[in-house]
Amino acid sequence: MAVVLVPSLVAAQASGKKRFEVDAGTVGEALRGLPVSDLLLDERGELRRLVNVYVDGVDVRESDGLDTKLAPEAEVRVIAAIAGG
Amino acid sequence: MGAVVLVGTKKGLFLVRGNDDRTTWEVEGPQLKGWQVFHAVRDPRDGTLHAAANNWVYGATAQRSTDEGETWERSEGLGLPEDSELKLTEAWHVEPGHASEPDTIFLGGAPGVLFRTDDGGTTWEPNRALLEHPTRERWQPGAGGLCCHSIQIDPTDAKRMVIAISAAGAFVSEDGGESWTSRNTGVAADFMPDDKYPEVGQCVHKLLLHPANPERFWQQNHCGVYRSDDRAETWERLDGNGLPSDFGFGLALDPADPDAAWVVPEEGAENRVTPNAQLGVYRTRDAGASWQLVADGLPSPAWAGVLREGMAYDDRSIAFGTQSGSIFVTSDGGESWIEAASQLPPVLSVELA
Repeated sequence: MAVVLVPSLVAAQASGKKRFEVDAGTVGEALRGLPVSDLLLDERGELRRLVNVYVDGVDVRESDGLDTKLAPEAEVRVIAAIAGG
Repeated sequence: MGAVVLVGTKKGLFLVRGNDDRTTWEVEGPQLKGWQVFHAVRDPRDGTLHAAANNWVYGATAQRSTDEGETWERSEGLGLPEDSELKLTEAWHVEPGHASEPDTIFLGGAPGVLFRTDDGGTTWEPNRALLEHPTRERWQPGAGGLCCHSIQIDPTDAKRMVIAISAAGAFVSEDGGESWTSRNTGVAADFMPDDKYPEVGQCVHKLLLHPANPERFWQQNHCGVYRSDDRAETWERLDGNGLPSDFGFGLALDPADPDAAWVVPEEGAENRVTPNAQLGVYRTRDAGASWQLVADGLPSPAWAGVLREGMAYDDRSIAFGTQSGSIFVTSDGGESWIEAASQLPPVLSVELA
């Protein structure tokens, strides 16, 4: 099972759960299966502009985006871009 | 009876609770930490709290709480259809529906969109007629985006509604939102290069319907304060009658007196602070024929800003919040004001609940 780790603000929208074990072949499948998928993906299913996703340390925007393949033990980290005020 | 001021801020939602005579207030919160609460309201029909909460990373949400904000539930599927070629950018205003439709709620957002739920906020559907309005290409976003911020439902008829969008203007529906007609006759758009009185494109900052006289509307606009006595068929400009400025955002009414209104003028579009180094509320009791400063208890010197959702009223009080984090309340029509809270994050919205 791959693991998805989400920031605390997102976790607060999932009853405090920060770590999700997912049975998914791609990043997109993994994120779409989360109860907070709407916070990470917009209404077209695209990754929100300021949401960064790393698979085993590699930014998915530098690989295949939401189609990035997940190894069975992959670690997917969701990290908010440094922004705001 | 005591009151709660629901205060939406840039850093979450606060509940400011007043005692029975509304003279002492205590701050609770924040809830929805990390979210910009553009607007929060209590549904008078069942007591549920609803919030339009936005985050610059995670987008626009509609949230609701049935336990005074201890826990919140986020609505599902809030977004715009692909064929619209639009994406939802912000949730702006939640308006409980007509008393005869207890599970219906409306949500205004950007870019110039309106949603409706008929299941109490579990799922929302975008209003197609507004999404596909033939004048949409002439709408322009104001500084706050192309926001649908005012939603008013005629208490005598659930199908009669008025909404306002900045900067598109006011729109009236007689059929529950199946169609919308622009209603901006007499309302200036001084920022337009040629036609200063276009069909659409007016920058309404706040529009309210009088609950006891739903033929009467008031609006604080980018270019003036207006009143309509014919459901927005025509508008009369009122800011030449004693107001220090035609510019402002906040607007409050008196449910017992259709001739009364309160505004908080700002210097102008290019300097959005209260004029004359004073936080001043102006009141009319003659339908806008004259305005008087009512500022006893308000700070001076002060250079304050009150946003479009930052002023509210009920049958006893008026409350408003500033971008410098204060909440002021009057329970005598503005004759005296109490600072109910201070040092909050910048206030985006206020509702009395």
